[in-house]
Amino acid sequence: MNEFINVTGQLLKGFGDNCFIFAITLLLALPLGLIVSMGSMSRFKPLKWLTKAFVWIIRGTPLMLQLFVVFYIPPLVSNGSFNFQRMHAALIAFVINYAAYFSEIYRGGIESIPKGQYEAGQVLGMKKSQIFFKVVLMQVVKRITAPIGNEIITLVKDTSLASVIAIPEILMNAKDFSMEGLIWPLFYSAVFFLAFCGILTLLFSFIEKKLDYYKG
Amino acid sequence: MSLLKVENIQKSFGKTQVLKDISFSLEKGEVLAIIGSSGSGKTTLLRCLNFLEAPQGGKITVNGNALLDCGSKTKASDAEIRKNRLHFGLVFQSFNLFPQYRVIENITLAPRMLAKEQIKTSGEFMGAKSYKEALELIETNALSLLDKVGLSEKKDSYPCNLSGGQQQRVAIARALALNPDVLCFDEPTSALDPELTGEVLNVIKGLKSSDSTMIVVTHEIEFARDVADKIIFMADGVIAEEGTPEQVIGNPQNPRTQAFLSRFNQYAK
Repeated sequence: MNEFINVTGQLLKGFGDNCFIFAITLLLALPLGLIVSMGSMSRFKPLKWLTKAFVWIIRGTPLMLQLFVVFYIPPLVSNGSFNFQRMHAALIAFVINYAAYFSEIYRGGIESIPKGQYEAGQVLGMKKSQIFFKVVLMQVVKRITAPIGNEIITLVKDTSLASVIAIPEILMNAKDFSMEGLIWPLFYSAVFFLAFCGILTLLFSFIEKKLDYYKG
Repeated sequence: MSLLKVENIQKSFGKTQVLKDISFSLEKGEVLAIIGSSGSGKTTLLRCLNFLEAPQGGKITVNGNALLDCGSKTKASDAEIRKNRLHFGLVFQSFNLFPQYRVIENITLAPRMLAKEQIKTSGEFMGAKSYKEALELIETNALSLLDKVGLSEKKDSYPCNLSGGQQQRVAIARALALNPDVLCFDEPTSALDPELTGEVLNVIKGLKSSDSTMIVVTHEIEFARDVADKIIFMADGVIAEEGTPEQVIGNPQNPRTQAFLSRFNQYAK
């Protein structure tokens, strides 16, 4: 029993790091993704191609590798005079990575809104910003709820990758137990992820239901 | 002086010249019907009038003010285009209601935003001196418009719960809410089931009696004959024939008009 409480405490402590990375990533990557999506839809071609290249690189390389790059490259190029703290490096990599994925979901949502919605706003004398915020955005939100929910649930589990730059998150703690010969905490850690993702699933089906008052 | 004067409008998409040289004028309270085959440029003309397309040449004058003059050097700013658009209203073939808003909100959304802006800059909106006063005015106006199109009891519905005909009637009320000088209809019944076209056409006909100036692009030839004061038949980007309904539909002179109308009459009986 004592062992169970001790393991649970250790895993919970690690899971705190996972939750922290999760929360900060969402908080920053959701708005940053919108800015990136604006870039990839820009009519200014150089900006558009630059953004597309950025998204290609971020989506085309493993997040694990990106964590290494952010953590190890600055001290290498600065001869050790500059480096990020581990948690900062993890947050930078996660925010950039998820902003790239979110940006593509936003782009898909925004481009799926029929041209007629913009034109209806235009002939009613609305400004571009008014059309975007008052007419288009709510419809985009409804359309992207499911894919964003999917991505957010992936993020919960991806936070474990932070262990590759030695952030003591839950799986790392569980693995430490297994090195000492205690194997079950490794499998027990699944419970934490399952519980968290369960809550998120409920939350997202609640949001979808809330947005179900209209069709289109 | 004509309410609307359109002179020598030209519009090309790439190498395709869609409008070659369109000129016509319209008096206050008149109804103009534009007929013609698909691809003749009818819709593009309406879109030019509503500044959704920028013509390469020509002039549009409303009440003596040149809203568009391709001959002049200065290019209109976004704000000017936005202001110019308010002279025209447009009812789309596919309604384009805002699905997330209730019927009443669809009608009041644009006027509310415009009121906020105009009261800030000029201290007045349609006679109202404060935003609060303007909101009341907008609400009353919207309710009376809904009454006019016969949908008062649907004011709190969402567009997805309305039939196509009802949606189009809301779209008409929405376009009227900004009090345009000229209300344009782009094939307002083409997306509707045949049994629903009547209710929309009747609303448009009702507007004629309240002295609205209208341009209707339509395939409903009988409706055009019934409601229009003037008819334009377009073919290949030019006005092939224009005149009163009796002239254009009753006794067409241009062989292209005759051919077009005979295709309609084939199934009319």
